[in-house]
Amino acid sequence: MKASRDNTISVGFVGNPNCGKTTLFNAYTGANLKVANWPGVTVEKKTGETYYKGQKIKLVDLPGIYSLTSYSMEEKITRKEILDDEIDVIVNIVDASSMERNLYLTLQLLEIGKPVVLALNMMDIVEERGMELDLHRLPEMLGNIPIVPVSARKKAGLEVLMHAVKHHYEEQGSVFLLPYSPEVEEKIRQVEEMLYKKRSEETNLRWIALKILENDEETLQEFPIDSNSILDKDYEKMIINQKYDYIEEIIEETLFNKEQKEAFTDRVDRVLTHRLWGVPIFIGIMALVFFLTFTVGDALKGIFESGMEMLFAGVTDILVNFHISEWLISLIVDGIMAGVGGILTFLPNIAILFLALAILEDSGYMARVAYVMDSIMDKVGLSGKAFLPMVLGFGCTVPAVMATRTLANEKEKKRTILLTHFMSCSARLPIYVLFASMFFGRYAMAAAFSLYILGLLTAILIALVSSKFSKEMSKTALLIELPEYKMPNVRTILLYVWDKVKDYLTKAGTTILIASVIIWFVLNFNMQGMVNDITKSFGAEVGKWLVPVLAPAGLGLWQVGVALIAGLSAKEVVISSFSVLYGINNINSSGGMSQFSQILAGSGFGPVNAYALMVFCLLYTPCIAALATIRRETRSTRWTLMLVVFQLVLAYAVAVLVYQIGSLLI
Amino acid sequence: MSLKDAKVGGIYQVVGMQAEKKTMRRLEALGILEGTRMEVLNRKRNGTAIIKVRGTRWAFGSDIAAGIKVEEYAV
Repeated sequence: MKASRDNTISVGFVGNPNCGKTTLFNAYTGANLKVANWPGVTVEKKTGETYYKGQKIKLVDLPGIYSLTSYSMEEKITRKEILDDEIDVIVNIVDASSMERNLYLTLQLLEIGKPVVLALNMMDIVEERGMELDLHRLPEMLGNIPIVPVSARKKAGLEVLMHAVKHHYEEQGSVFLLPYSPEVEEKIRQVEEMLYKKRSEETNLRWIALKILENDEETLQEFPIDSNSILDKDYEKMIINQKYDYIEEIIEETLFNKEQKEAFTDRVDRVLTHRLWGVPIFIGIMALVFFLTFTVGDALKGIFESGMEMLFAGVTDILVNFHISEWLISLIVDGIMAGVGGILTFLPNIAILFLALAILEDSGYMARVAYVMDSIMDKVGLSGKAFLPMVLGFGCTVPAVMATRTLANEKEKKRTILLTHFMSCSARLPIYVLFASMFFGRYAMAAAFSLYILGLLTAILIALVSSKFSKEMSKTALLIELPEYKMPNVRTILLYVWDKVKDYLTKAGTTILIASVIIWFVLNFNMQGMVNDITKSFGAEVGKWLVPVLAPAGLGLWQVGVALIAGLSAKEVVISSFSVLYGINNINSSGGMSQFSQILAGSGFGPVNAYALMVFCLLYTPCIAALATIRRETRSTRWTLMLVVFQLVLAYAVAVLVYQIGSLLI
Repeated sequence: MSLKDAKVGGIYQVVGMQAEKKTMRRLEALGILEGTRMEVLNRKRNGTAIIKVRGTRWAFGSDIAAGIKVEEYAV
């Protein structure tokens, strides 16, 4: 046993995607890393700590992988980490309900030669399905390595698992090496011999030999041996086949009543992934999500508003009573409270939106969307896989852009990034909610939903056009696991929603707060100092330049110009700006709305203008955070700037079109 | 025939595979090799398919499905 640094045992969590690895990690560390039901969520390692009987244990959560080859980014990261000296024990999380697939990785992990502890997760699903797993025979067939049933969701078996880790580490207990056919074993021996002559210090020669026989590029680079004389056959296939043969044996001997209740997922899939109904059902589900966001969010809004109103009144009273100078009162009441407070009342809508997205994700539906949309995406030269980042875009463009990393080639990645922006993110939701409610009465919801559809159509159209321009169309092949449907886990979902709510509050307290203060400043000052007449302020000056430009789009009010510029910091700031511009407290309340719509109507701003404004907000340049992410992911300032220009031109053109046609019709 | 033209509900056995090297390796690691049996759960006209292999469901794009040569497996 090697002396460990400061007596800490380092444990690597390794497992297939969807095996509950991150949930288990969270159960130990109390962290709330995002858990999602599709691959590519854990793209980098996360670490945490736990203690077992005074023993400090460092946990490393690694990206989910199906095998230890080095083809995908996830595989490379995970493989590098577990081969590194720093990991003392590997905890292999196995989804007991799909052992046949999970055990392949297990057999590979065992070949590395480090202590492996198997955590059998999702035993409850196994039982639910009426299956039985022989927990006595299973370890026997895997060389008596410790196998611990756990439930990541119910937090059961956690202590036992860490006990096994500590014990297995200290004892350096059993290892299991799958015996291959004599032919393969002979080859392994030959390669081991060749390796030993050169690198006798290596402790896991068998692992290296196997990887060489599998023609693994990384290993061949690190251990250059004359492989041509040895690789006279496709040993890789033989090795894979023999592993799976052994897995079949294991399943045969340990798992009983296999096929009983699996039909549920298949029955659901027959409907949800139907050749004709699949797409309409997806659009229907998104419409339902939106409907809930709109109605339930609105119902909850009332509570928020009365709270907010009391706060406004209270703070104003206090400020006035304390005889604080007028400019400071103005800053706090007209700037911060109007700007930030106006945004806070949309919190219920945002929370409901993320709740719905989390349920769709956790239940297993989202992976199906990739299949359902694949034929449409195919027509525009993209893979169905590229649709997943786009769905994430309904939440926020930043993670959506990051998720494009899972796409294989640069060109497809950029094309997808271009599209994610047109999915209406949650920051655009408040704009739709407010303007649709003010101007479209009982058609408010339809008006707002039409923007989601418009965004989707724009994305598809742009993908189509861009596919005509690029000659060579290589796209990532769609290859995605469709997990079993399951009841969403309440804890996972609440953690996820809470995380998003926190993000929103943080944003309100930082970006939006700062933006509100700046807006208040530019609207209350000019070169001479503080102004009484807002139309003489800096802000008004800038806004007025934009009036002639924006007029053809029906946005020819200087206030709109100011709000749109401010909205570059974050799309919600468009709303904050209007609150500050027109001095409306609680803009999302019925009082605030009627006050605001009257003012706007007074300047000739009607439903057509409102729709043009919403369209402009849908299409124009994403917020600074999204742009920074795009710049980082594409590593191209030039491309990012071109994107900005393109989106501005597009937003302007479509808004003009909408306004001009709309004005003719009405 | 290729998986692209397989019947929904049918059980097939892989008799040959053609794909980009990287995709091929991935498929093999997932246990999809010559001789492997799979059930076709769903398929679209363009060839994109949902198949079940070794107890797991996968969605394959049409390009992958086209490269997997199968024949019907006698049940």
